[in-house]
Amino acid sequence: MRTALVKVGGIVGAAVIATSVVAGCGSSDDGTIKIGAIAGLTGNFITEEVVKTAKRVFDDVNDAGGINGKKIDFIVKDDAGNPQRTAQVARELADDDVVAMAASGSFTDCDVNDAFYRQQKISSIMAVGASAKCFQSPTIAPVNVGPFTLITAELLFASQTLKNDKICNFTVVLPGSEEAVNNALAQWEKISGKKLAVSDTTVQQSGDLTPYLLRAKQAGCDAILFNPGEQLVVPFLKAAQTQGMTDVDFLLMAPAYTESVAKAVGDLGLKVYAGSEFEPFTADSDANKGWKDAVTRAGAPATAFSQGGYLAAVFLVDVLKSIKGDITRESVNEALRTMRPISNPMVGTPFTFGPGDRHAPNQASKMVELKDGKWVPLGDFITVPTSS
Amino acid sequence: MLQLSAAIAGLVTGGAYALMGLSTLLTYRLVSVVNFAQAAVGAFGAFAMVVLYEGGLPLVLAVPAGMAVGALLHCGLGAIMVRWFSESGEGVKAAVTIAIYTGLVAVGLRLFGAQHPHRFPSPFDAPALTLGGVVVTWTAIVTMVLAVLFAAAPAVLLKRTRVGLLLRAQAERPTTAELIGIRVPRLSMIVWGIAGAASALAIMIIAPQLASDFGSQAALITPALAAVLIGAFRSFPITLLGGLALGVLQGLASTWQAVQQFRGVLPFVVILVVLVWTRRGDRWDEPA
Repeated sequence: MRTALVKVGGIVGAAVIATSVVAGCGSSDDGTIKIGAIAGLTGNFITEEVVKTAKRVFDDVNDAGGINGKKIDFIVKDDAGNPQRTAQVARELADDDVVAMAASGSFTDCDVNDAFYRQQKISSIMAVGASAKCFQSPTIAPVNVGPFTLITAELLFASQTLKNDKICNFTVVLPGSEEAVNNALAQWEKISGKKLAVSDTTVQQSGDLTPYLLRAKQAGCDAILFNPGEQLVVPFLKAAQTQGMTDVDFLLMAPAYTESVAKAVGDLGLKVYAGSEFEPFTADSDANKGWKDAVTRAGAPATAFSQGGYLAAVFLVDVLKSIKGDITRESVNEALRTMRPISNPMVGTPFTFGPGDRHAPNQASKMVELKDGKWVPLGDFITVPTSS
Repeated sequence: MLQLSAAIAGLVTGGAYALMGLSTLLTYRLVSVVNFAQAAVGAFGAFAMVVLYEGGLPLVLAVPAGMAVGALLHCGLGAIMVRWFSESGEGVKAAVTIAIYTGLVAVGLRLFGAQHPHRFPSPFDAPALTLGGVVVTWTAIVTMVLAVLFAAAPAVLLKRTRVGLLLRAQAERPTTAELIGIRVPRLSMIVWGIAGAASALAIMIIAPQLASDFGSQAALITPALAAVLIGAFRSFPITLLGGLALGVLQGLASTWQAVQQFRGVLPFVVILVVLVWTRRGDRWDEPA
């Protein structure tokens, strides 16, 4: 029995080694640079505009002659928001010999594939990093601020710009991100020297939200940070209006910064702000010109997610252009490790990958305010001082 | 004080749970199916209403249209039950509704989008009164009145009227009822339709208060079933009280630090406690 097991194990082991050797040697010789991305093209949460915009950027590079005469082959895989699919498509992309991942917009990608990317030595410039893992991996660098640094930035906005005194926090904490949320809150306390009047990180996604507002009312909060997405923000603000909380500043996160939220809660007469992560997508500014042009020609909806897709693609193209000689996984990794930070007017801090064992290059967000059913950009980037 | 306010706020959610629970109980009592898809069918009707309303149809037309969609869909579900599962046990029927629930959620998410919130009209949104530091809206009062109506009407119908008698006969002994000349299939179709329209109406009223995506609305079936279980799948008034109690309990839990984070699983705890209590006499190794 035991020997049989050893035999089987040996065969399986040999097969694994064989396939990985084949995969390692079978580098693409068809004259293209293969870049992979995973996004939700179907399923509950669709991020198609992310990869569509990135594809436009790569197509533009190809139309202009490619990189050192080689065309970029952008391979997009749909994971339908399903973790099993996320794992499967990452393996398919690795088998396709992608040299790097760029502009992924999958919410399960980091948690599912981090270890696989490390093992395969594939670097990923993510368009939308949403889980804590995205900001704690040596192989992943998201271009967006992310839901943790954004908490710190928004609290700084409340304490410094709005001069709020009693700031309260109501957050839904997803599994695995508790530590990151607590760190973000602690960092604000360290920078501002203040304490939160109420901090509730046990907010439930089901049921009525009024009890949380009653707590805030009792504690006399003058600013409330609320992190969930659109579906929960709308009933939350409606309940706040019912309870007459018109003099409180409501701070929402980037997922709530959408046209449909503006339409749904614009007429409630509440003071609502949201973090935009990038140059606000509703702003008609010079900073947004390149992205606006790309997203329009891509025929994709102009959202904050599509900004992430645009930036991830633009940054990777810059890095690829800096590579002398063959573009392989190794040379891309090396170029990312040694790259010079790239500035872009759409982000508050330059993008860099570098040799670190975790990456969170974007440390600044702008804020938008809800006025007459429209999101209006407010002031300059709020940069979170880097923790030493 | 905060506890009192939270409890009052919870009463509103409780009214919603009760409303959904009563629709589910109606289906069970009249056609003996534990319908896990009840809230999903209701959500389908409610989302049909919101799509029509957003498309410019006046609310007075959109609401009946949404209820009609709920009724039709529920009739479809009923037709499946009558055609293929009329002689099956309750377990089999319940399993079929679970399968249909899963299907409806998938289709609903695809049709009505999970990403962006729909704007559910809330015509009764104006504050009605302030009670214990909580502003209570007309929506809450309408929910409550409707819940009492949902509880009282079927009870009276079943006990006092000839139609009620026929309905009870067909629910308890469908074959016998058919043999003595009751048109069981037609009667059950009417029941399925009414229950579908009622759940659509219930969801339309509840929807603006809760996370406004299809999945969350369809998931209302969990607290609803907890309420029905408290009423032992028989009593309409106790189901009403059960729903309200569950809402109040959830409200109170939000003020209590130690159990705060378990607020969402409270319906399951209630289901478990009720099941253990009602089955306390049973033994594993004895035939039931």
